[in-house]
Amino acid sequence: MIPLRYNARSLVRRRTTTIAAALGMALVVFVLAASLMLSSGIKKTLTQSGRPNVAIVLRKGSDAELASGVEKAHVALVSAREEVARDGSGAPLSVGEVVVVITQEKIDGNGISNLSIRGVPENVYAFRPTVKVTEGRPARPGTDEVVVGKRARGRFKGVDLNKAFELKKNLPVQVVGVFEDDGSSYESEVWGDLETVRRGFGREDGVSSVRVQLTSPEKMDAFKTAIEGDKQLQLEVFPETTYFEKMSEGTSAFVNGLGITIAVFFSIGAMIGALITMYASVAQRRKEIGTLRALGFSRSSILFSFLMESLMLAVAGGVLGVLAALGLGFVKFSMMNFASWAEVTFSFNPTPEILVFAVVFGGIMGVIGGFFPAVRAARVPPIAAMRGA
Amino acid sequence: MSTAASSAHASAGITVRDVTKVFYRGKEPLTVLDKLNLEVTPGQFVALMGPSGSGKSTLLNLIAGLDRPSQGSVQVGQSSVSNMADSELAKWRSQNVGFIFQTYNLMPVLTALENVELPLLLTKLSGAERKKRAQTALRVVGLEDRSTHYPRQLSGGQEQRVAIARAIVNDPSLIVADEPTGDLDRQSADDILTLLTKLNTDFGKTIVMVTHDPAAAERANVTRRLNKGQLS
Ligand SMILES: Nc1ncnc2c1ncn2[C@@H]1O[C@H](COP(=O)(O)OP(=O)(O)OP(=O)(O)O)[C@@H](O)[C@H]1O
Ligand SMILES: [Mg+2]
Repeated sequence: MIPLRYNARSLVRRRTTTIAAALGMALVVFVLAASLMLSSGIKKTLTQSGRPNVAIVLRKGSDAELASGVEKAHVALVSAREEVARDGSGAPLSVGEVVVVITQEKIDGNGISNLSIRGVPENVYAFRPTVKVTEGRPARPGTDEVVVGKRARGRFKGVDLNKAFELKKNLPVQVVGVFEDDGSSYESEVWGDLETVRRGFGREDGVSSVRVQLTSPEKMDAFKTAIEGDKQLQLEVFPETTYFEKMSEGTSAFVNGLGITIAVFFSIGAMIGALITMYASVAQRRKEIGTLRALGFSRSSILFSFLMESLMLAVAGGVLGVLAALGLGFVKFSMMNFASWAEVTFSFNPTPEILVFAVVFGGIMGVIGGFFPAVRAARVPPIAAMRGA
Repeated sequence: MSTAASSAHASAGITVRDVTKVFYRGKEPLTVLDKLNLEVTPGQFVALMGPSGSGKSTLLNLIAGLDRPSQGSVQVGQSSVSNMADSELAKWRSQNVGFIFQTYNLMPVLTALENVELPLLLTKLSGAERKKRAQTALRVVGLEDRSTHYPRQLSGGQEQRVAIARAIVNDPSLIVADEPTGDLDRQSADDILTLLTKLNTDFGKTIVMVTHDPAAAERANVTRRLNKGQLS
């Protein structure tokens, strides 16, 4: 076998063209890795707050909280089921919440964007123990005070600690606290008093959704059957985990699809780059190749050697692209979540699988792009060694 | 190289019989060699001379198995070179022929030692054994202290000596050289010729050398002249 260092050093020798072609590959791998990381980040953000023992109850046929409505009377009925866990005082562990989306001017001057407002009852912190008010204080029930999620904070006009903004015309609210929830999608929301939000948006008759904590995840089926079986209610039950997964599907699939589409288009360019680089290299090295053939190296060993060379080129580019993509780990990215029609802030989630896949993808591009030049190299006859350069 | 004398194929005879080589320029046939015959006995050092374009390199390529005759046969040792398939021929070259080119043809990205080691990569020898043999070959050409140098760090004469080390590292039965001193000054040329003579006398290698240089031809046992497709 022709030693790999022959190929590695040949690449180094043609530094300029090698770097140009490798950068093309790096770009492809970067785009691919970045979109996969973002898609994974979206899934992580949108699904992490789901708990297997929590059921979400929506109006039948409405896939998301925003489109759903549950009558006040039904909230009590649902909460009273025997599968629902109770706190020390015997009150059911359940929350009925109103979710609305408002448009709000952004701080960076990029016009307006959607902001999710959640009207929450008093026991919301007990119901979601992972949510912590980290700055300021919780909003007092029955007031026009709100708390804002860490990721929504500072992105919209007035949506920051000790500032004020209007939920709608003539409905000003005061931001008294900032909350965190391990980076979940709640962090992109504003939480206000349930009654205030209800009144402001004409939802006095009910809530958007009811969440109940069951005594155990095994009770999910029984609860679901009972609620959905009651045809009067016209309600639908989802395990919270399933619900969040469904919510994230559209958005993460969109990002995935977009990223892969862009990567595939770019990769055509990068493949042509590798192709041209390797063709030029083969043309320049005809005498070298002829000499190798004269010394007795077979056509197939020449073919393999040149395939390895373009593979090395591509993998070097790929590693560079992946390193650049890793740098995105520090970048926050906000975009519309299609399911909630509100802006949610995501981060890029690098997983080993994604990084390896992206580099392998680059490598495959390199082998494909390098194939025809390698065939041409393998066709160089041994007498090419005798002729002038 | 110390084992060269006891090698199974220390030297090979060559029989070129009724060889014709026709090249085509478009549809125009160009008969370079015309029913040519040549006999080289084992261990002989033959110089091939003749005007430019007379077909010296063409003949050498046929003998070394780089190309095939249009008609006729080439026999080297026990092997019928003109009848072998491409892959068979490549293997045969790697085991039986050492090449020395006018332009040295070293791999620019490999060190002297790595260049010499190249032909051994086609054998089953261990890495350590390959290195040892390559070093031995470099010692034969007097360049053991240059083993880590790249071709661009060597003079033309030194490059050609590395090429000679590469040509002998596999202990071939035949060495072919196409104007090995063509690009060298007198002193370096003489060093190379002395080396070739030594390979012929001390190691018994059969050598066929194309040259324009009468001083080079003098070192050979016989000089054959090529003209108009025929030897004289
Ligand atoms: N592959 C080829 N295709 C077409 N013509 C060729 C080919 N190889 C050699 N020739 C022609 O055959 C003739 C002999 O060429 P060759 O290289 O054998 O000459 P030479 O005696 O080695 O000359 P020089 O002393 O200049 O090296 C020349 O006219 C050359 O142009
Ligand atoms: Mg010639």
